[in-house]
Amino acid sequence: MGKMQNAIFLFILLISFLEASLGALSNDSFWLLKIKSQFTDPMGVLSNWSPGSNICTWNGLECSKDQTRVVGINLSNSGLSGSISPDISHLVSLQKIDLSMNFLTGMIPTELGNLQDLQELLLFSNYLTGFIPVEFRLLKKLQVLRIGDNLLTGELIETIGELTELRVLALAYCQFNGTIPSEIGKLKRLQSLHLQANSFSGIIPQELASCEELEDFAASNNNLEGEIPSSLGELRFLEILNLANNTLSGTIPPELSRLSRLRYLNLFGNRLTGELPLGIIQLPKLQNLDLSRNNLSGNISRFDFNGNNDLEALALSGNSFTGSFPEKLCTRNSKLRNVLLSVNRLSGDFPLALLNCSSLEVLDISDNEFENKIPSEIENLKNLTDLLLNNNSFSGGLPPEIGNLSNLVSLYLFGNMITGEIPAEIGKLQKLSVLYLYENQMSGNIPTELTNCSSLSEIDFFGNHITGVIPETIGKLKNLVFLQLRQNDLSGPVPLSLGYCKKLQTLSLGDNNLSGSLSKTFGYLSELTLLSLYNNSFEGPLPESLFLLKNLTIINISNNRFYGSIYPLLGSNLLLLLDVTNNSFSGPIPSELAMSKNLTRIRLAHNHLNGTIPSQFGQLTNLNFLDLSSNNFTGELPLELSNCNKISHFLVSNNQISGTVPQWLGTLKELGELDFSHNVFNGSLPKQVGDCSRLLKLSVNQNKLSGGIPEEIGNLTSLNVLKLQRNNLSGAIPRTLGGCKKLFELRLSENSLTGSIPPELGTLTELQVILDLSKNSLTGEIPVSLSNLVKLERLNLSSNELKGEVPEALGRLTSLHALNLSNNHLEGEIPTTFSRFPPNSFKYNDKLCGPPLTSCRESTRQEKKQLSNTAAAGIVVAIVFSATVICLYLIYLMLRIWCKWKQASISSDDNGGGEKAGKEEKWGDDHHRVIRSDEYWDLNKMTLLPCERSGKKDVSSMTTTCIFHHSMSRENSMRSLV
Amino acid sequence: MASFFSSFFLLSILLTLTPILCTNSEGNALHALRSKFSDPKNVLQSWDPTLVNPCTWFHVTCDSNSHVIRLDLGNSNISGALGSELGELKHLQYLELYGNKIEGKIPKELGNLKNLISMDLYGNNFQGEIPKSFSKLKSLRFLRLNNNKLSGPIPRELTTLSNLKVFDVSNNNLCGTIPVDGPFTSFPIESFENNRLNGPELQGLVSYDFGC
Repeated sequence: MGKMQNAIFLFILLISFLEASLGALSNDSFWLLKIKSQFTDPMGVLSNWSPGSNICTWNGLECSKDQTRVVGINLSNSGLSGSISPDISHLVSLQKIDLSMNFLTGMIPTELGNLQDLQELLLFSNYLTGFIPVEFRLLKKLQVLRIGDNLLTGELIETIGELTELRVLALAYCQFNGTIPSEIGKLKRLQSLHLQANSFSGIIPQELASCEELEDFAASNNNLEGEIPSSLGELRFLEILNLANNTLSGTIPPELSRLSRLRYLNLFGNRLTGELPLGIIQLPKLQNLDLSRNNLSGNISRFDFNGNNDLEALALSGNSFTGSFPEKLCTRNSKLRNVLLSVNRLSGDFPLALLNCSSLEVLDISDNEFENKIPSEIENLKNLTDLLLNNNSFSGGLPPEIGNLSNLVSLYLFGNMITGEIPAEIGKLQKLSVLYLYENQMSGNIPTELTNCSSLSEIDFFGNHITGVIPETIGKLKNLVFLQLRQNDLSGPVPLSLGYCKKLQTLSLGDNNLSGSLSKTFGYLSELTLLSLYNNSFEGPLPESLFLLKNLTIINISNNRFYGSIYPLLGSNLLLLLDVTNNSFSGPIPSELAMSKNLTRIRLAHNHLNGTIPSQFGQLTNLNFLDLSSNNFTGELPLELSNCNKISHFLVSNNQISGTVPQWLGTLKELGELDFSHNVFNGSLPKQVGDCSRLLKLSVNQNKLSGGIPEEIGNLTSLNVLKLQRNNLSGAIPRTLGGCKKLFELRLSENSLTGSIPPELGTLTELQVILDLSKNSLTGEIPVSLSNLVKLERLNLSSNELKGEVPEALGRLTSLHALNLSNNHLEGEIPTTFSRFPPNSFKYNDKLCGPPLTSCRESTRQEKKQLSNTAAAGIVVAIVFSATVICLYLIYLMLRIWCKWKQASISSDDNGGGEKAGKEEKWGDDHHRVIRSDEYWDLNKMTLLPCERSGKKDVSSMTTTCIFHHSMSRENSMRSLV
Repeated sequence: MASFFSSFFLLSILLTLTPILCTNSEGNALHALRSKFSDPKNVLQSWDPTLVNPCTWFHVTCDSNSHVIRLDLGNSNISGALGSELGELKHLQYLELYGNKIEGKIPKELGNLKNLISMDLYGNNFQGEIPKSFSKLKSLRFLRLNNNKLSGPIPRELTTLSNLKVFDVSNNNLCGTIPVDGPFTSFPIESFENNRLNGPELQGLVSYDFGC
């Protein structure tokens, strides 16, 4: 009976247990369906999550071994969006949640803190927002927390230290801020700590060293500052240390040399200074060392990498390292693939030690001070793909063996002093894509073999001395995108076959001696955006097929001998810049030019273009430079041009443009240079010109302008050059012109200006090139204020009606080297300093006298002929007599003074000294004191004896000392002025 | 007629031999200069380094061979320092940088400007010495360095500048003596005012740089 009872009891127990467990599962099912309802599931991953079926068969779920509880959710990369339901916290047995790589939004539910058994939480790569829930401190069993690559923010709070089981803490690529809490040191099991690409600031806590098992620490791309804690050297399991792109300062702690397992060390882009501890280079497991873009210094020639066979990448670019290349870089088994040492101050020859690095793929030693030849042994580097030697001082020729680097893709040699020819062997480089030889001293021809490099996409030989022709076979380079041969000595025509380089976008052949006409095959270059042929001898009409080039943005064919119409250049409506200056183009400007609405520069000067300026130019609202000078344009300026209000250079000189100078010029606020000279503009100069406040040069000379000079010109406070000469301007020179304080050139000559010269012109103290008021009808006197124009080099006031004297003060114009005051009614004495100018400067005046003209006394005598000879003689005698009397009296006075002085003073002169000696000492008194304070006086006693004494000894020293006395007197007079 | 043709021939040869020097080294030099300047009034706005030459930049004047002959940046509120690159402007005749806030040393490379007629650096904050290399500026007529913070002596080498008409170093911190040779015989005392100069140099077999 007892047994029976026992059996029944056990059965009941079993049933109830089963019921309970089944109930738990059905419970989980309830919550899971609630969780599902918060997800959007476009891929149908959750389609079998339906009531009634066994949840242990549902996708992405893991049940406990006894099938009683859900212990894991893995829905990684399932295309889920929506949010994480807080109900997930009811699945109390969960040990692992992986919802990574979905499109989940919303916050991380704080209720997750209830999942006491949770060991792994993977939510990385979603769009989660908000903070890390404080409740996470309760997840005492958590080993892996990976929630990076979300939009999470806030600080990493110190309670993180309570998760003592954590092995992986990955928070990278979020928006976390604040400091790294020192409590992180309590995570004794931590192996991976990923904090990169956040906004963490402050220092790296030295307590991190307590995470004894740490293997991988990445905190790059944050705002960490301060020094790298030396305690990191205690992390003996550390394999990866990435602190790149912070603002860490100080030196690299030598303790890091103890990290014997370190494979990857990246300190790129910090502010580290000092030398690189040698031990770091010798870390035996090191594969990648990147210390680029710091302020590290020291001589690298003693670096010894030989103990280190695993090194694959060495990057020290952008520091201040000096010395020659390290000798001990590669052993035979070297795996070194990348050596990046650009932008340092390394010097010496091409590093021969590198030639042992047969595994080398990328070598960048650009922007250093390496010199001498590139060795032919460079061919040993068979695996080389990128060779960057640019911006050094390499000289000598380019070795033909470079053609054996069959894997070479990029060859950068620009900015050196390489001479000789381009070796034909380069033609063997089938993978070569970029060939930059620009800014060297290379000569000879372009080898035809170059066109065998079928992968070439960019060729730049700019700034060498390459001669000969462009190879006929250039058309074989089907991948060519960029061809720049600018500034060489190439001659001959552009080969027909160039048209077959159909991918060509940039063609820059300017500054050569190329000739011939352009072939119609140019029309095939449909990708071309830049066409630059300036400064050559091209001729003929442009091929009509050029009109097919619809992508052109920049055209510069200036300084050639093209003729005919410019129409073929206007097929593109994307033009930004068109320069055809100095050719022989003719015909009118086609209105199609205005189809390119973004044009900023139009330069058509020095051609034979005619017709009127198209009103369509008014549509070019970005136009900033318009140069139509020296053509045969006629008609008036179209009103529509007033729309081009960004225009800064408006140059139409040397045409036959008529009509008035438009008032709308005042609306062109960006105008800096306006040149309307040599046209037939009439009417008056509008006062609105004064509104162009940024105007620097205003030239309307040689037109038919009449009326007065508007006072408003004085508002142009930036104006440097004002040229109004050779018009019919009348009235007075406005006093307001004194407001143009920056004028250095002012020409108002050959007009009909009247009135006097305003004294305000004397305030234009920067006037330098010329002040030309000649050939007007100016009256009155020359204002004294003109003497302030101390920088003025040329002054022309000739052919006016000026009267009165030339102000003596004008003699202060020491910079003046051309002066013309002729043809006026000036009188009186010419300032003495003006005697250096030729008589022509003063001729045709009424009564000017003095050098270089006849002396004023002579002219006075001529003036006053009525004065009799006897009277004159009497005057002379009287003068001579009175002068003698005064002189005698003065001598008497001086003798008396000297006698008194002689009595009072004790003679320091051992040879007695006469009157002369005493006198000299007296006037020399002042500066003797000055000179004696200087040591050299004593050192040179021998040559600086007083005049008398040396005079007795020898003649040569007397000469010396007398010159000395002479200059002393000058010194004395100058000192009194200083 | 034959002589006409032969002279025409000669002329055409001469024309072809004349090099068209349109390198943009001058533009690069000016652009490098700009990069060292602070330019609050945007006077250097038009300095576009992508253009073939700097001849259309405001405040820059070229001759007909596209060589820079004037640089006019007087009273432009510019601050910063000059660099060695200014020495690349081999054809420069007028260097007008007066009335700014330019500081630092006057680069010795300015002595390479062999065609310079006028150098106006007055009214800035230049420090250091007047470069001895200025003695290479054989065309120089106007040298105005007044109102700066220049120190050291007036280099004796400047006495060889036979074309120098105007020399003004007043209001600096110069020391030593004033040269009396060459063009220095004609400069007024005002050009040397407000320095620590000790008056004119003493001639003879004596050291020049005393008291400095």
